[in-house]
Amino acid sequence: MEPPSPISCCCGREPLGKGGTRRSFFAQAAAVIFGAVGLLVPTMVGVVAFLNPLRQKGQEGGFRRVASLGALPEDGRPQKFAIIADRVDAWNRFPNEPVGAVFLRRIGAGVQAFQVICPHAGCSINFDAATSGGRFFCPCHAASFDLSGKRLDETSMSPRDMDALQVEIRNNSEVWVKFEDFRTGTPQKVTQA
Amino acid sequence: MKALLAWIEDRSGLGAALRKCADHPVPGGACWCKVWPCTILFAFCVEAITGFFLWAYYSPSAQTAWESVYAIQHQISGGWLLRAIHHYTAHVLLALLIIYIVQMIFTRTYRAPRELVFWLAVGMGLCALAAVLTGDLLPWNQNAYASTKTRTGFLTFLPAIGDSLLRLAIGGPGPALGSHTLTRFFALHAGLFSGAFLFLLILHAALIRRADAQQADAAEVVVPAWPSQTWRGAAACLIVVAAILGLACQHATTDLHAGVALGSPADTNPANAYSAARPEWFLLGVYEFSHFFPGQRQILPIFVFPGLVLCLFLAMPWIGRMRAGHYFNVGVTALLLVAMVALSYRSAAHDAADKEHQKALADEAKLADRACQLAVAHGIPSTGALTLLQNDPKTQGPRLFQQCASCHNYFHGQDDDIVAEKPSAPNLWGFASRQWLAGLLDPKRIIGPDYFGNTKFRGAEMVGFVKENLADLDKAEQKDLEKLVIALSGQAGLKSQWDLDAKDAEILKAAPKLLDQFGCTDCHRFYEKGSAPVGPELTHYGSREWLIDIISNPADKRLYGKKNDRMPAYAVEKILSDRQIGLLADWLRGEWYEEE
Repeated sequence: MEPPSPISCCCGREPLGKGGTRRSFFAQAAAVIFGAVGLLVPTMVGVVAFLNPLRQKGQEGGFRRVASLGALPEDGRPQKFAIIADRVDAWNRFPNEPVGAVFLRRIGAGVQAFQVICPHAGCSINFDAATSGGRFFCPCHAASFDLSGKRLDETSMSPRDMDALQVEIRNNSEVWVKFEDFRTGTPQKVTQA
Repeated sequence: MKALLAWIEDRSGLGAALRKCADHPVPGGACWCKVWPCTILFAFCVEAITGFFLWAYYSPSAQTAWESVYAIQHQISGGWLLRAIHHYTAHVLLALLIIYIVQMIFTRTYRAPRELVFWLAVGMGLCALAAVLTGDLLPWNQNAYASTKTRTGFLTFLPAIGDSLLRLAIGGPGPALGSHTLTRFFALHAGLFSGAFLFLLILHAALIRRADAQQADAAEVVVPAWPSQTWRGAAACLIVVAAILGLACQHATTDLHAGVALGSPADTNPANAYSAARPEWFLLGVYEFSHFFPGQRQILPIFVFPGLVLCLFLAMPWIGRMRAGHYFNVGVTALLLVAMVALSYRSAAHDAADKEHQKALADEAKLADRACQLAVAHGIPSTGALTLLQNDPKTQGPRLFQQCASCHNYFHGQDDDIVAEKPSAPNLWGFASRQWLAGLLDPKRIIGPDYFGNTKFRGAEMVGFVKENLADLDKAEQKDLEKLVIALSGQAGLKSQWDLDAKDAEILKAAPKLLDQFGCTDCHRFYEKGSAPVGPELTHYGSREWLIDIISNPADKRLYGKKNDRMPAYAVEKILSDRQIGLLADWLRGEWYEEE
């Protein structure tokens, strides 16, 4: 068995300072601070990148042309229309895809628009024509709404009435809707962006 | 609080463990020369941290790898810096390991009781090398693709197992690399090689402690590691961070070029293979060395010699037991280092003087910028960013024009010129523009090399007409000729002339009258005029449709008919696809996306 070879070193043989508490304090502080700063730099850069979703903006909720006035029944029965827009997912852009849907309903000369997303838990609301006069019905948790979007049931699962959207009639025949998504599960209507 | 701490201490022994760590003896005293293991541990931690955060954004597939790195680089805040830190720390880690190993050899530290410490350092070096080489492919750009294709191709030099190894490495029968290459390279990079490195690192640290304790008994001076050695190590780590940040920010910190270049998306089409791929600095010497061994003998510089050198390194602790053996070790190591530096320099110098290589580098840089420009402007389709380039007339035009460049020039004295080897057809730069048409209708220039000078039309009707009727015009006729040029060029609707065409709308409207006045319609059809065409139809002359038609089939009876010179019918003969002909037409018309 070979004995351990003597340690060879290029430089400092720093003797143990007996009364050197000050020096030792600075050395300790330096070790902690240098090490912490060194590791914090990459960690912070990573955390900032990781938190990027908090700074991202959702898609813009501008007015979009949804249908022509002629496509809506005169009797005020609601019709469902897809919202066609560019869908963005991470680095991808998919041009002209359905990104949502709305119910449009004629009221006299005007048009009323609702999000199809249920304010309760984000399911898709159906129009139920079979019930007398018709109603909106969410199949997930049985929330029902009248034609003007009001909750029919006092103990409805939905925390608020259906989400109405702003409508503009342009050129006397085009129905434009300001399409927005709203947070689900809250009594207030809060835009999700 | 005290009770809680006491409880934690009782159950975990954390404080005692930390104290034991802090008190671990450093034989020979604290020294700057002993900071290397500390910096290596630190660099690994940086890689693990930044690697995790990159992992949160990276997607390994042929359609998403470049794209997700593009998102990291250009859409995620600080993403470029994150990636640059990860990239440069890997290189710094490799450099630190080389320094550490060389130091152990030069200071004879590899001797008993540290033989295994030395071995583990060499093992860490190999793991780091493997991790860098597998990580290199992940951005899936042209350089990464070409480098990895070459490197994995080397495996076939190995007798018997070579082909199987290649399949295992690239995850398929090849020859192209693809999504399965990426998935396994990612797994090897982030899982196997990093994990193996960590394992060796822990073992290495444990054996250092053991050896330190053994040597402490015999040493004159012994100090506890904390804080005198620790603060030196921490300071060295800080310097490492500063160096990495310096490297990461060396180019820019804001624009497309911040951090590490992303390059252009990998193109698996062999026709578009990237010719300027070079290994990283640590393999440049081996690369240059391998040039001395042509053909099958490349197995020597790539596998045999490195394998022998590795065996020699592993044997060094025992060779170094004798003083002469130690000098031998030092000599061999120094020789290897000098040889590598010299060979790397030779390679770099050769590339710097190689015009083809420099052009390939410049072209790739341009392509990379273009890919980013298009991705920013249009978003990336689900088929991947390569599709953006494949549908971009600015990118594809010059490539497709190589077909045409056996006869046609595309020349205007700029660096995007394409010059035919033997120009024998009109110069198509600015085709159908006012400038181009003015030249065509110039009696001197029409028989020059830029127009019909080298074609069989040199002595045909058109040249005769121009020479006879358009020479020696008086001022009024000169003015009318200018109007004719404006009117005919207006048929093309070129993007570069939109403003001019709008300004001269009146002249454009008078096109039928002007063409009649000069007698063009005697030979050319123009809308309903000119029933027995001799030359090509001038309706929508130079428009996208007109160009597509003439490229598709110049011998169509609306165009040159039987008089067609040597131009092939690209669509009829199926030389180019309809999509390619469309791209070529767009490119000739200067119709492509440009940043505002």
